[in-house]
Amino acid sequence: MAVPKRKKSRSNTHSRRSQWKAQVPNLVKTVENGKVTYSLPHHAKVVEDSAGTPLFLEYKGRKVADV
Amino acid sequence: MPKPTKGPRLGGGPAHERLMLANLAAALFTHKRITTTETKAKRMRPLAERLITFAKRGDLHARRRVLGVISDKGVVYELFDVIAPQVADRQGGYTRITKIGNRKGDNAPMAVIELVLEPVTPKRKAPAATKSPAAKEAEKAAKAAAEAEAVEQTTADETAVEAESNDAPQSEAAESEPAESEAVEAEATEEAAEAVEATDTDDESIDAGEDDAK
Repeated sequence: MAVPKRKKSRSNTHSRRSQWKAQVPNLVKTVENGKVTYSLPHHAKVVEDSAGTPLFLEYKGRKVADV
Repeated sequence: MPKPTKGPRLGGGPAHERLMLANLAAALFTHKRITTTETKAKRMRPLAERLITFAKRGDLHARRRVLGVISDKGVVYELFDVIAPQVADRQGGYTRITKIGNRKGDNAPMAVIELVLEPVTPKRKAPAATKSPAAKEAEKAAKAAAEAEAVEQTTADETAVEAESNDAPQSEAAESEPAESEAVEAEATEEAAEAVEATDTDDESIDAGEDDAK
């Protein structure tokens, strides 16, 4: 079986791990009924009633799918 | 003509991809709206629209070609006799893909692909198109004028600053006298000034000449 010849240094390990980063999502800021909401661009949005329960997905004024 | 897809096939191979896309198209024609992954929806769209084009042609040859893809005669009947008349006025764009976020299990981006069965609403672009170019031209002209003014102002400011950096009497002359006499004054001071300062005044006179040209 092939085995590593040398111990992987801490520096190499940390260099590799430092490249694993989270991406910041590009959000669109909209104001609905005086409330600021953030949403993904070109994606359907969840429509909620006044109590906050999700009703359905909507995109450009058109009901797209159920939640 | 659909653009050939880049990258690997869906599924295990070319035959698997063909079958999956054909089955997806059949499901779309039976249900009018299906939820699938974004990739599959995008790959299936050209095939589905091509099949609808065949359905709009409506003859036996077209029907046999569609039956080569979708083997279910019930679905093909639905496509030719129910869907095709509804999209008769539409010149392409028979499907609509809407992204609905990621799937819970494997975080795959999902989309809803549906047939666009609403009657075609003609776009009232003609008046807007005639208006918009004129408005654009007007805006362009205004912008160009503003830019030109800004450039002239900056050049004038630069020449003034350079003149001030030179000898004091010369700068006073540059500020007080009009631009035409400025060059003459600069040359006169150049003769009187020393050799080191002569280069500076020379540059200044060139700048003044540019200002005259404008």
